[in-house]
Amino acid sequence: MIRLENVSKSYRTSTRPALDRVSVDVGKGEFVFLIGPSGSGKSTFLRLLLREDVPTKGDVFVSDWNVAKLPRRRVPRLRQRVGCVFQDFRLLQNKSVGENVAFALEVIGKPAGTVRKVVPEVLELVGLEGKAHRMPRELSGGEQQRVAVARAFVNRPLVLLADEPTGNLDPDTSQDIMLLLERINRTGTTVMMATHDHSIVDSMRRRVVELDLGRVIRDETRGVYGVGR
Amino acid sequence: MRFNFVFREVLIGLRRNITMTIAMILTTAISLGLLGTGLLAVHTIDDTEELYGDRLEVVVSMTLDASTRDQDCSQSICAGLRDELRSSPLVQSVNFENQQQAYARFQRLFQGQTLAGLARPQGLPASLRVKLVDPNQVGALRALLQGKVGVSRITDQRDVVERLFSFLRTIRDVVFTLAIIEVVAAALLISNMVQLSAFNRRTEVGVMRLVGATRWYTQLPFLLEAAVTGVLGTALAVGSLLVGKAMFLDSAITNGFGDGVIPIVQYSDILSISPWLFLLGIGIASVTGYVTLRLYVRL
Repeated sequence: MIRLENVSKSYRTSTRPALDRVSVDVGKGEFVFLIGPSGSGKSTFLRLLLREDVPTKGDVFVSDWNVAKLPRRRVPRLRQRVGCVFQDFRLLQNKSVGENVAFALEVIGKPAGTVRKVVPEVLELVGLEGKAHRMPRELSGGEQQRVAVARAFVNRPLVLLADEPTGNLDPDTSQDIMLLLERINRTGTTVMMATHDHSIVDSMRRRVVELDLGRVIRDETRGVYGVGR
Repeated sequence: MRFNFVFREVLIGLRRNITMTIAMILTTAISLGLLGTGLLAVHTIDDTEELYGDRLEVVVSMTLDASTRDQDCSQSICAGLRDELRSSPLVQSVNFENQQQAYARFQRLFQGQTLAGLARPQGLPASLRVKLVDPNQVGALRALLQGKVGVSRITDQRDVVERLFSFLRTIRDVVFTLAIIEVVAAALLISNMVQLSAFNRRTEVGVMRLVGATRWYTQLPFLLEAAVTGVLGTALAVGSLLVGKAMFLDSAITNGFGDGVIPIVQYSDILSISPWLFLLGIGIASVTGYVTLRLYVRL
């Protein structure tokens, strides 16, 4: 589902590459933690998958798309199949919970009927049934992240990318979000999550890809955050 | 394409930048209003030229001496001149006006003024009023009559009317210049509004890009926002022209120049230029919006 082949990414502003000859292969339906210290290249990794950036060398594949060589006009198609959540939720504060989720479908031209049907379903999936009319600022951090997950998942993406989704949440709430991501993973969606959270990685025992200074230094099928860290 | 969604986004955008929106509508209205005024001035000048083109003559005034002696152009000096003119290929027609007729015309022109009471028929010259085949051939006519006995002066009436035309043309040029400056101002305001609007909506635009909205979908609300202000601005401009005609222009022309001197601008004239103004208003707004999005806003 996700394949990086010998991918390097350098920025002009830095002498050291953000990613250095990285090769990773993630199968359909896998759950992968991307770990490593700040500046290790986790965010660059995710940006390449979303085609927010293109690699300096190597190839990036998501499903059947050769992401790096995708023409600009085809990029929206890719992004429609790759959901994304962030540490800071990125909700639209002037829209209600339901409108935030519906927005993701409306802007890709889904018919109103589909939107009316799908939005309540996905809100129920993330445990926010009955809160469609609340505004984001009336919700707790955990609830806001659920809205963000609902928005990322509402179009049933092949891949869900999560960049430190629990970074702003307390441990209990983090656990709830992880359960939600697991539930989404069980529907067949590949989940790739960048995180610093030891306890989550250690408790879930999923595949762990560890980056350091832009290189993959560990790739374990049922890994923990790291010995001695 | 979800039209109601796009429509809603446009309304939100316009409401959020309400002061900017109003400024833009007004600037567009002023620039297109001035442009419309300029076009109407051109139209009026054309009409006026047409109105006078047929009536204008070259007046060959006779010397007073010849005028007094010959009241029906039967004597050799006047008749010779008339025949020579009639046989010239430059000339379409020649009419003789004697002192009595000149006096009557004078009385009619200066009716009610002191000048009318002072004039005597003997003081006014008789004239041969010449209509040329080509009104621009006055020079050739002057050359033809150069040094002829009995001719005191040759007056081209178009020279007199030319002053009126040049006045109208100056108005037109000033109005066009102002219109162009205003169009530039409107374009800059539109560009500003689009940038401001994009900045205000950077989170929305970010989310749109993230969830895979096409470039077209992301840009459309901004372009429509610009186009809507363009339409409203033009509507205001056309409305102002119509109101301006009804309330000021008609009476200004009648009071300033007298009835029928300058043709009155018709409502149909305004309506016939308004489609072009609309096209221009929407065009400027959309093109500026699009260029701004391409150059300054990452969508």
